[in-house]
Amino acid sequence: MSPILTFIVILVGLYGLATSKNIIKSVFCVTIIEAGVILLFLNLGNLEGGSIPILDGIVENIVDPLPQALMITTIVIGATITALALMLCIKIFHHYGSIEWKEVLGKEEK
Amino acid sequence: MIRRITLVLMLVIIFGVFVLSMIDLQSLYNTSGKDYFFANGVFETGSLNLVTGIYLDYRLFDSLFEAGILIVAVSGVMWISQHEIEEKNATFMFDKQKTPNLFVTFSRLVYPLMLGFGIYVIVNGHVSPGGGFQGGAIVATAILILYYIDINKTTDVAKILTIEKILFILIVLIGSVGLITRGEVFTNFFTLSTSTNLKSIYLIALNILIGTKVALGMVAIFTAFLKEGR
Repeated sequence: MSPILTFIVILVGLYGLATSKNIIKSVFCVTIIEAGVILLFLNLGNLEGGSIPILDGIVENIVDPLPQALMITTIVIGATITALALMLCIKIFHHYGSIEWKEVLGKEEK
Repeated sequence: MIRRITLVLMLVIIFGVFVLSMIDLQSLYNTSGKDYFFANGVFETGSLNLVTGIYLDYRLFDSLFEAGILIVAVSGVMWISQHEIEEKNATFMFDKQKTPNLFVTFSRLVYPLMLGFGIYVIVNGHVSPGGGFQGGAIVATAILILYYIDINKTTDVAKILTIEKILFILIVLIGSVGLITRGEVFTNFFTLSTSTNLKSIYLIALNILIGTKVALGMVAIFTAFLKEGR
């Protein structure tokens, strides 16, 4: 059931991406989609009552370590991609004087 | 209005396809991989923390490209943010609003603790929760506090980028040593029969390299954003 709930988070991000009028809000929506993907993968590997995948002492019934290892990569990449997108937003604001999609797309290149 | 309805309909269709694929979850996902890691992970990678074992041994190729994307993103931020006006450091942002003295004092108290905790998380990444990526982020946060303690702090971003490139080459080289000793590339260069303690040398070395790389990348990105605050 919970993977379906996390997929709703991804859909919320997609809806926001399609309807947001502000560039910074679009960047936030990408971040929301990313959070949904992370939750989805962690839910797939989850196990009710399972222990953490560190085999220190007697451990049984660990959760799946593979999605966790993949999601570390996703989090770091997501942080850098958000930084890159926000830096582009700053440059767009300096160039066009606005960060609304409508005004930026309507203006001609200087 | 019609566009909104079409959009919602499309999202509902995507959701339906996802739910249909989730009904047969057992064919998509099973626990055989987990059982393999549980049975052989410590012996093959030498890491008690299976997550570290996966991203530094089984899937080092993935981590390598992740480090590459970090370099590309940092140099992209640097390249986009360059402008004609020469600015020495971040002072012009902070002199507008003076940092409260209470904040400066507490930053001085917290700074060594954060730095020590970050290094602890990096070095113990193979036996306890943590690793290069997480510890690197903590160390980067600790270094960024220095901006509040000392307003006149300067950071040479070009030098940071050079160090990052050298670190990336070092990670590739350490991953490739296994080609000589084991005949396999991008894996632990100690043979399978060596003890777990000896194997952890490789894990600690790679964790420190990745942690330094992530910390420097975060600091470089933050400095670039500070320079934009005109």
